Amino acid sequence: MRLELGEIHISDIKLGDCSKVENGTLYVNVEELRALLLEDEDLASVDFEVVHPGESVRVLPVKDVIEPRVKVEGNGGVFPGVISKVGTVGSGKTHVLKGCAVVTTGKVVGFQEGIIDMSGPGADYTPFSKLHNLVMICEPKEGIKQHQHEHAIRMAGLKAATYLGELARTLTPDETKVYETSGVMSGKEKYPDLPRVGYVLMLQSQGLLHDTYVYGVDMKRSMPTILNPTETMDGAILSGNCVSACDKNTTYHHLNNPVIADLLEQHGKTLNFVGVIITNENVYLMDKERSSDWSTKLAQFLELDGALVSQEGFGNPDTDLIMNCKKLEAAGIKTVIITDEYAGRDGASQSLADADPAADAVVTGGNANMVIHLPKMDKVIGHPEAANIIAGGFDGALEPDGSITAELQVITGATNEMGFNKLSAR
Amino acid sequence: MLLVTNNEKVRDQYGSLCTLQFVDGGHVDVLTHVRDLVHSGHKLLTHPLAGSVKPNETPFRSVALTEEAGPLDLESLDLIEAALGVCRQFKPRFHRGDDAPADMREDFAEIDFRLIHGAIAPHLQKGE
Amino acid sequence: MSFRVVHYINQFFAQIGGEEKADYAPEYREGAVGPGLALNTAFKGEAEIVGTVICGDSYFNENLDAAKATVLKMISDAKPDVVICGPAFNAGRYGVACGTVAAAVKDELGLPVVTGMYEENPGADMFKNKVYIIATKNNAAGMRQAAPKMAALALKLAKGEKVGASAEEGYMPNGLRVNFFEAERGSTRAVKMLLNKLAGKPYTTEFPMPSFDRVAPGPAITDLAHTTIALVTSGGIVPKGNPDHIESSSASKFGRYDISSFEDLTAADHETAHGGYDPVYANEDADRVLPVDVLRKMEKEGKIGGIYPYFFTTVGNGTAVASAKKYGEAIGKELRDAGIKAAILTST
Repeated sequence: MRLELGEIHISDIKLGDCSKVENGTLYVNVEELRALLLEDEDLASVDFEVVHPGESVRVLPVKDVIEPRVKVEGNGGVFPGVISKVGTVGSGKTHVLKGCAVVTTGKVVGFQEGIIDMSGPGADYTPFSKLHNLVMICEPKEGIKQHQHEHAIRMAGLKAATYLGELARTLTPDETKVYETSGVMSGKEKYPDLPRVGYVLMLQSQGLLHDTYVYGVDMKRSMPTILNPTETMDGAILSGNCVSACDKNTTYHHLNNPVIADLLEQHGKTLNFVGVIITNENVYLMDKERSSDWSTKLAQFLELDGALVSQEGFGNPDTDLIMNCKKLEAAGIKTVIITDEYAGRDGASQSLADADPAADAVVTGGNANMVIHLPKMDKVIGHPEAANIIAGGFDGALEPDGSITAELQVITGATNEMGFNKLSAR
Repeated sequence: MLLVTNNEKVRDQYGSLCTLQFVDGGHVDVLTHVRDLVHSGHKLLTHPLAGSVKPNETPFRSVALTEEAGPLDLESLDLIEAALGVCRQFKPRFHRGDDAPADMREDFAEIDFRLIHGAIAPHLQKGE
Repeated sequence: MSFRVVHYINQFFAQIGGEEKADYAPEYREGAVGPGLALNTAFKGEAEIVGTVICGDSYFNENLDAAKATVLKMISDAKPDVVICGPAFNAGRYGVACGTVAAAVKDELGLPVVTGMYEENPGADMFKNKVYIIATKNNAAGMRQAAPKMAALALKLAKGEKVGASAEEGYMPNGLRVNFFEAERGSTRAVKMLLNKLAGKPYTTEFPMPSFDRVAPGPAITDLAHTTIALVTSGGIVPKGNPDHIESSSASKFGRYDISSFEDLTAADHETAHGGYDPVYANEDADRVLPVDVLRKMEKEGKIGGIYPYFFTTVGNGTAVASAKKYGEAIGKELRDAGIKAAILTST
């Protein structure tokens, strides 16, 4: 597949009378967007705020972060099977509004966490403090259940990102990146001497607030399968996961999967990036055995020499991670796994819930239990009262001045297990 | 199927559909009871650490095991002992245990129910 | 006002002599000696070695309590802000001495302390979770890299600054995970690590898995009535008087004793050497740790074929894993050569 990703650099967002992109500024007519979103009967209201890097603003509780994109040429449309029709994506031309994102907030459940600080020490731990964000505060209709609420907010975020992405359709990109992937046979012919490398992408799939959708299909119902790396760039994988802010993959992460980007960067040079194997993290133990067997079987079928494995979550998924790693290694496929850690506030506890000597090459996104002090921000957007819940349980929790002492866990994207960030631990 | 839970929502939905052992206690009490069952030869069917809500962040836990007991299953033993180990390393969090306010309690119960429901419903249909 | 540093070194680095002078008793000298000069340079004026304690490696290891006390007094009398020991590179006894002194400085004097040695130095495994050990090369040619790292960490400790991750500061991972920012994002680090692994080149994992020592269980005993059982314990049961002086902790040996004439162990003939539990009940009746009486009964009843005439014992308290492995192999060999198929191993 060949995909041209045209980036339009956004350096500002302003609310205005007419939605458009002009000279790097994204103008949003919120009335129009609101009307569109409120077509969903489960939503009572949607409010909008704009936040910029460096501002003294705290956004919480964050549900998802989505990057505006639009399919300009080629089969299908962005967010296939959910927003666009189900056609296969990943080829042709796609435009991206780079440097900005849609951030949805909402209290689907009382214990919801997820903080983005746009400045201060907290900003160093989330990639979203570097973006201009259109924050959408969604309120549900009275009486709807948690799963309806989650669905409503998820759809609202995707619709908003689609609406904004559409504004880039006819623009000339500031920068274009071209991604070319090879088929199994042509790749072997083209790069006979390069190691064959695959990416086993583990997707959260444990249930409500813990789901991932691939072309609209709930990953818990899917067998492990193969994706072309560029399909993710058109939104083939979407997040329905809103628990554990630090290591859940937002839709933004799926669109900008760093493992895929880095492997594509090396494709044809130091390695042959054969493909992506997506697999799940189910609760039923037999499903785990089946999925890890299948992932390994697919990796063997593709005759991989090595595989990068990234996971999503902690505890239950650690078992999947180790199963995948062990079985791949036993099949002679060398692995590097990417995870994060819960080593306790003092860093002395066992970092993972599962372990095996076969996992001898690990990259870590850091200890999520590290305690961080987030100073008071001038403005708190979303559901400010959620700060009480987030801070609850720590000594000197939520101070009267609005500062929060909490674990890194609560910051959106802080210990991402795709290796999105530079944070690590030793 | 043997379902061990301290979640009334789960008991209400599944009490009549399978053998349910209700634990009148907290998260760790459920896992301790599951451990005892594993030592008695029951095999785990679902992961004792399901969900990204950490063990110290929710009062509820539901775990499914085989109804029949056989020789000790070492994998189940590893899993449940590791789960209890994880519980020990997370200190209790304010308002996340029995002290959770009513609406949060409802949310915790719903998530726990959804996760166990998603895991076992397909298998109960088959009459396991 | 620069920080006061006391430096601990051995007889070799003090240029007193080699192995033949390893029995050198502790001596205090004003100012820096030998490698201390390199450390002083690295301090760039922020700290200064006010005195050096020199002690021979044999003297230290063979007079542990006395030497430690003397060395600690010399150190504390000089009133340092921070203490540096070594670096010991791959010299084993020196590494153990450095680690012992460093741990004592930390625990008993309450002072910040840094030492350094090669990762395979026995002192490393023993002390890396107790004190900061800068990882050095395996010989003194590594002084040039080691001195600046040791000096930098010592200064941080003296200033009370936060210590970074092991990879940042250069100390051996000590069981406490510390976050820090790498130059590259995780996915890039992962791709590089995989390329190294695929090429058979060295790579360093960012998270070492906890070490496992899985042993495949032997086949089950099918005919217990005709099987001789051997008794082995790490509970320290020994003949009364502990004739071979098995240590109450960090045992350097195991014992092999005849129980063929014993039906029952009593306070008259057996005791425990173990220093890690209250010995009263084991001394009253050693069967509580080494169940000779129960096994004799079973032997009489025909439930087991017999008891191996010798039992093996050591003290598990603080005994190095490497030592325990050695003893296990030796004991296992004798039992296997004697055709023994089953043993009961008691621990405390």
